[in-house]
Amino acid sequence: MQGALTSRGAVLYLLAWLLLGAGLGGVVTLMSPGPWLHAMLFMIPATLLFAVGAGFSAYYLCRANPLGERAPASILLALCTAAVVAGFLWIGILQAWNTLSEAFGSGVTLKPSLVALLFGLGVLLYGLLVAVNYLVMEFSRARNAEKRELESKLMARDAELRMLRTQIDPHFLFNSLNSISALTSMNPKGAREMTLRLADFFRQSLGMEANRKVTLEEEMALNRHFLAIEKVRFGERLVHEEAIEKGAMACLVPPMIVQPLVENAVKHGIGQLPEGGLVLVAAWRNGSQLKITVSNAMDEKAPERRGNGIGLKNVRERLACAYGHEASVHWKKEEGRFIVEMTMPAETTED
Amino acid sequence: MRIIIVDDEMLARGVMREYLAEHADVEIVAECANGFEAVKAITELAPDLVFLDIQMPRLDGFEVAELVGGKTRFIFATAFDQYALKAFEVHALDYLLKPFSQQRLDQALAHARAGEGGQQAEVAAAARDMAATRARPAERVLIRDGARVHVIPSEKIDYVEAQDDYVQIHSEGKAWLKSQRMAELEEQLDAARFIRIHRSYLVNIERVARIEQASKDSHQAVLHDGTRLAISRSGYQRIRAVMQ
Repeated sequence: MQGALTSRGAVLYLLAWLLLGAGLGGVVTLMSPGPWLHAMLFMIPATLLFAVGAGFSAYYLCRANPLGERAPASILLALCTAAVVAGFLWIGILQAWNTLSEAFGSGVTLKPSLVALLFGLGVLLYGLLVAVNYLVMEFSRARNAEKRELESKLMARDAELRMLRTQIDPHFLFNSLNSISALTSMNPKGAREMTLRLADFFRQSLGMEANRKVTLEEEMALNRHFLAIEKVRFGERLVHEEAIEKGAMACLVPPMIVQPLVENAVKHGIGQLPEGGLVLVAAWRNGSQLKITVSNAMDEKAPERRGNGIGLKNVRERLACAYGHEASVHWKKEEGRFIVEMTMPAETTED
Repeated sequence: MRIIIVDDEMLARGVMREYLAEHADVEIVAECANGFEAVKAITELAPDLVFLDIQMPRLDGFEVAELVGGKTRFIFATAFDQYALKAFEVHALDYLLKPFSQQRLDQALAHARAGEGGQQAEVAAAARDMAATRARPAERVLIRDGARVHVIPSEKIDYVEAQDDYVQIHSEGKAWLKSQRMAELEEQLDAARFIRIHRSYLVNIERVARIEQASKDSHQAVLHDGTRLAISRSGYQRIRAVMQ
């Protein structure tokens, strides 16, 4: 039973059989005249030998015949045959051992009724071993399935964050590169600064892991890199402000949960306004809740364009994944501004 | 060669200006930061060539190209826009992918100078394609009136009347003429809202107050403002199906 058993498990297994052997020794003492010590000397070593032999046999037999993969009848036939063979071998071992013991003055009288009883017990014990093996297999299969499910969930989350990262609009990257290309001759220092900001932004966003929450402070740092880059592109059209309550900065949020909203605010809000406007990120604690709003000036006459909803939908799904019903996202239009409000539990430690 | 640069980003216009400075015969007659300015400048200055960014506030590059037909040649520029790239490739239009090199711009300029004919048709087709892939149903209708552009939100249209190669769009008591075929406009607008009740009429279902019997076997739609529109037999089937 290697692999399935640790050394401690093996000791426990043999100990259980030792007790069983002692019990059987008692049975033999009752059924056969003679000193109890002889009965014990007869039963215990033989039982331990059976424990090892039948144990290995049942282990391999069960793994060779997994339940549900072959016809039940053929499995049953194989198991019965094995049990009967095990029973005969068990009797063989007992008789051989008894003969050997008698040569040393020990041994017991093996009456046919005792032999029949021991044979029956051997077959039953083998059956019991098989049953235990199948139980263990089922149990570990269920546990593996659970583990696999958990792993695939984690992988899905990672994939989702990766997707979110690549969803950082390629348009953003290429426009930034175009800005750098323009700056290299007009303002070399500005070009270098822009390169560094891009590097900071990508370094931070690529370093985030889907299942590890970050403090709002870290998330805001990412947003500042992003907005600084966009500010080079949009110039005075983009004005950005933060209004974050001190206590909110230490709260944990899913990584890149604010960034898509800020990106949307710039792309669909400021990017659609010839004279530009303000992007405001605000956050505060409201009792046990953390509230974050991202708002932007919008062109009220402009129709909603396709693509507006993707970032928002993504944020909604990720919040639901992280907090279930305890989190929500809403958006509204108010006085020429588009406002997205997120509510989530205010946590400061990872649970 | 008289050129207009259209891009909402100052730096993007800057790099274009720098590259064009290498060409002695090029004169930059205007720089525009949005689509409305571009339509005005192109109409008034009639440049030989326009460098046109795709993603801009209010009017995008394709909408500008669609509005200012005529002899102007366009070279589009975009950083990344899978819809636009597809339209470019399908119609074999010249385009610049930002960031681009001086050589790439020189090449585009040389193409434009060589003046391969028939570009206007391709631009119109590409613009139609973009309308189809980007925003359908159309949320608004753009109408050029000289150098001005009118934007009519689709929901504010009362009805559209076909007039030969034009459509007359009625909205809030005013009427606008647009050079477009009725079938094309019908295809662009929301089919759940706009019903073709007659060969000549496309009506906004929300403006219809009631349907009246006009004669033994003909009907007419009465709009909230009292306008009466003839309904054809097949049009009657369609509008009955929607209004019930």
